[in-house]
Amino acid sequence: MALMGVVSVFAQDGGELRFCLRSEPKTFNPLLVEDEASETIRYLTGGVLVRVNRVTLKAEPELAASWKVFEGGKRIRFKLREGLKYSDGTPFSAADVAYTMEQLMDPALHSSTGDAFRSAEGKLVAQVISLSVVEISFPAPVANLVNLFDTVAILSAKSPQKEMAVLGPFYMAERKAGSYLLLKRNPNYWKKDAAGKQLPYLDSVRIDIEQNPEIEALRFQRGEVHLINTVSPAIFEKLSADNASVRDAGASTDTEQLWFNQVPGSPLPAYKKAWFTSTNFRRAVSEAINRGDLARIVYRGHAVPAIGIISPSNKFWFNSGLKPHPYDTASALRRLQQDGFRLQGDTLRDRAGNAVEFSIVTNAGNRTRESMATMIQQDLRKIGIKVNVVTLDFNSLLERMTQSYNYEACLLGFQNAELDPNSQMAVWLSSADNHQWNPKQTSPATAWEGEIDKLMRAQAASGDEHKRKQYWDRVQQIAWEQEPFIYLINKDALVAIAPAVKNAAPSVFRPQTYWNVETLALTQAH
Amino acid sequence: MELLSVRITISYKDKPPVLDDLRVDLQPGEILGLVGHSGCGKSSLALAILGLLNLKGGKALGSIRWNERELLTLKEKEWRKLRGKEIAFVPQSPMSSLNPALRLGTQLEEAWKLHGQGGRDQMEETVFRSLLDVSLPAKEEFLRRYPAEISVGQAQRVLIAMAILHRPALLIADEPTSALDAVTQSEILALFGELNRRLGMSLLFISHDLVSAYTLCHRIALIHSGKIVECNTPQAIFFSPQHPFTRKLIAAIPTVPSASEVEESLRFNLFNS
Amino acid sequence: MKTMRIVAITVLCLTALTILGASYLAPAGYEQQFRETPQAGPSAHHPLGTDDLGRDRWARLLYGMRVSLTLAPLAALFTTVLAGLVGGIAGYYGGWTERCCKLLIDLFLSVPWLFLLITVRAVLPLNVSPEASVTVTFALLGLLGWAASARVICTGAKDLMKSEFVWQARAQGFSGFKLVRLHLLPNLRGALLAQFWISIPVFIIAEANLGALGLGVAEPLPSLGSLLRELQDVVTLRPEPWRLLPLAVLIVVISSFQALLNKQEVRA
Repeated sequence: MALMGVVSVFAQDGGELRFCLRSEPKTFNPLLVEDEASETIRYLTGGVLVRVNRVTLKAEPELAASWKVFEGGKRIRFKLREGLKYSDGTPFSAADVAYTMEQLMDPALHSSTGDAFRSAEGKLVAQVISLSVVEISFPAPVANLVNLFDTVAILSAKSPQKEMAVLGPFYMAERKAGSYLLLKRNPNYWKKDAAGKQLPYLDSVRIDIEQNPEIEALRFQRGEVHLINTVSPAIFEKLSADNASVRDAGASTDTEQLWFNQVPGSPLPAYKKAWFTSTNFRRAVSEAINRGDLARIVYRGHAVPAIGIISPSNKFWFNSGLKPHPYDTASALRRLQQDGFRLQGDTLRDRAGNAVEFSIVTNAGNRTRESMATMIQQDLRKIGIKVNVVTLDFNSLLERMTQSYNYEACLLGFQNAELDPNSQMAVWLSSADNHQWNPKQTSPATAWEGEIDKLMRAQAASGDEHKRKQYWDRVQQIAWEQEPFIYLINKDALVAIAPAVKNAAPSVFRPQTYWNVETLALTQAH
Repeated sequence: MELLSVRITISYKDKPPVLDDLRVDLQPGEILGLVGHSGCGKSSLALAILGLLNLKGGKALGSIRWNERELLTLKEKEWRKLRGKEIAFVPQSPMSSLNPALRLGTQLEEAWKLHGQGGRDQMEETVFRSLLDVSLPAKEEFLRRYPAEISVGQAQRVLIAMAILHRPALLIADEPTSALDAVTQSEILALFGELNRRLGMSLLFISHDLVSAYTLCHRIALIHSGKIVECNTPQAIFFSPQHPFTRKLIAAIPTVPSASEVEESLRFNLFNS
Repeated sequence: MKTMRIVAITVLCLTALTILGASYLAPAGYEQQFRETPQAGPSAHHPLGTDDLGRDRWARLLYGMRVSLTLAPLAALFTTVLAGLVGGIAGYYGGWTERCCKLLIDLFLSVPWLFLLITVRAVLPLNVSPEASVTVTFALLGLLGWAASARVICTGAKDLMKSEFVWQARAQGFSGFKLVRLHLLPNLRGALLAQFWISIPVFIIAEANLGALGLGVAEPLPSLGSLLRELQDVVTLRPEPWRLLPLAVLIVVISSFQALLNKQEVRA
């Protein structure tokens, strides 16, 4: 807070901050948010009890002045700030928090935000103790409980404006479908800066819908937009050559990975299924990929070779015992020989003599992924594997990945918005939908998947961070050894911030450039 | 014995017939003029004799007898053997009746190939002979030209050359001179006369111009209201017209103006300009 | 005009030679990644520099030309023949034949091809070679591209059927195929040639755009279209003239074709 006080001395008030979103928000109901655009609106308008500082990664008090966690995450009591009002003037009290939590956990709502709180069967109880104290009890301990409240925008129980009455720094003032959204400063916003001046400094935020990142960059160059949250390496280079304010905020938690289809019921021939379910095969492919070159050439140095599920930038949860995957074609060939593969001329053949050839599918229109696939294609050529690169529109790709399982290998990226391993349950449980290489298993297909299931459940049920870290370290270790996902790189968070924007402190975590939007200000150049 | 004997009623769709039980005969070697207003059905008659009337949506009833054969019941396959070989056609507007995309030589050669027999020598000989018949230069250079590169008069001669390639027994000329200037017009009329004398082919000369018909034809038939109102030798038509329509046509023939009249019109034009 | 034709013939001969001799002229394979020198400028090793992945631009241009400039004219020829056939038949026969053909044309124009192409991709196996994939794509383009111009051809043929020289031809005894070959087709030449020209660049670009559906040329094989796609990036495109060469090649080759085949129209 002290730092903010210092910089705000030269920051001036007012002005309109402008940036772009790739798509229209799908919902304005903060409890139903699933897409990034809707999340942006929730972040800018919603008031939350607790905010995770995107730089320190510590939970900070917002609407709640303080809180206390009981029974290892089974119960939490919030002490609320007093005298706050919604954007429409409706007063805020503990009843609103209870109302929001009840709405959120209503099974009929199907809120994925609410799913994070569902640790066990049973109902949640939100008890209003006084006007400013509320206690929420869950049927079982919830891992990472406090931080989860970062995503719960508190609705008003009484406001006639329903969810459009907000407690955040801005409210939704105007919008034109497919074109723009205009947010205006919330006159009733509670937060003040160190000098006692009411926040936010900005008058309004204008968000334009722009699908094409090239056009977005062009508009940034022209000064029409102030911020870009994710800049591609090519655009980053171009903008930095133009002396525009682009910053490499460091390695993000997002991963790009390659995986083989291990679904037993997939329409692939049996010999290919045998390759893909072989650990040696997967590790050989992994060792034959030159991750350093991917980072250096495709990402132009703005990425680091990936080690595993978790990026090293996630300092607490990363298993520091893991070493980088080696780039070693000789070792890859040795592993393949163990499985009966042999190099015949420049073609790798399996024990039955089938030439090793498979296709990598990726989503069309993503140049970096296409480039990575092309480099992997040439890397694998060196161990005699023929790779066909196929780009598909996202819906077709999704259909193959989740319905027909008619693919061999897939190259995609995952956004890991949350740091806590609990957010990875949907991927690592063998019964999960997003267990991409072999989803929705009735019982674990392999021993190691079974072990991961146990570890994931154990970490979810535990309130002890160090125990959870031990479980999670073990999961990372197994994933490193088995490589169901061949993690390729962790890309850097590349952002663009116009020089006119003051107080910006870009983070590698979403929303990278405007996570501290209430203290952002514009110098009035014109 | 007649070469062609026509008893015909022609109608289009549901409209009243344009030719109503029209009767006309043609002798071998005869030049018959069919004269009438434009739109009186002269051209329909030509189409009917060529068996192309149905393509324009017309319907012919009655009979067309050609060398003792009935044409109206003929199959299309038989028609094709007849058209261009026994009965040939010379159209009204020569420039638009030649295929603009093909060289003259190609058009003549292809027309020859339709009915001609023999080799390339035979073809070249026929083509050159036809060109000479119509007083066109029988040269390779001329044959390499496109229709756009020759004059209207030459185009009409090319079309006549094409029509007489196979020495047909009957030539149907539908207003063959109406698109030509006066000098070319008289040249083409003279050519028709000469071809008739030299090759002995009959000519059905369809025109709205009584004077042209008078200079060329052996007999003239006047068509009015879908019927032939009068049919006689040119002299008889001109000097003792029987039907009021004939008299009206003759009265409308312009005479050569006198010198004073020319002066008058010039002065008038000066004042007006 | 004559010098124009000589220039055009020279250009096309050179193009043909380049296409045939791509493997001799290229300093490296089109797929070879010189990973130490990505995005390099022109040098003795790489006359046009290297692309984002360090591949020789000159080699990629040569092979891209080979792919696109052999397949696109073939597909264009195919589509022109189809358009001529359907449009010609409709215009020649008229009546119910014309109505059937027009129905077929309208059907073709209204079918959402995107879905059909997605289906085609779904039916195709994933493991097809880039060469097979690009050939299938151009074949599809040729198969689908005819409808709009068939309509133009049909109208043209109908007008021609009413023209005096066609009547004259009929009076001479022409009919059927001979009438079409001698009197319709030569006069539809302009419309058919126009269809042919437009189809070549359109197909070259369309092939690149079908990459979005997993059709078209697949990495690492280049096509003129995929090379042109790089020029779409308004911001990141650097003002380096050698990057524009694929575009220049396309324009020059198409103009040469046009200069050569349009001589009839020039004369008239």
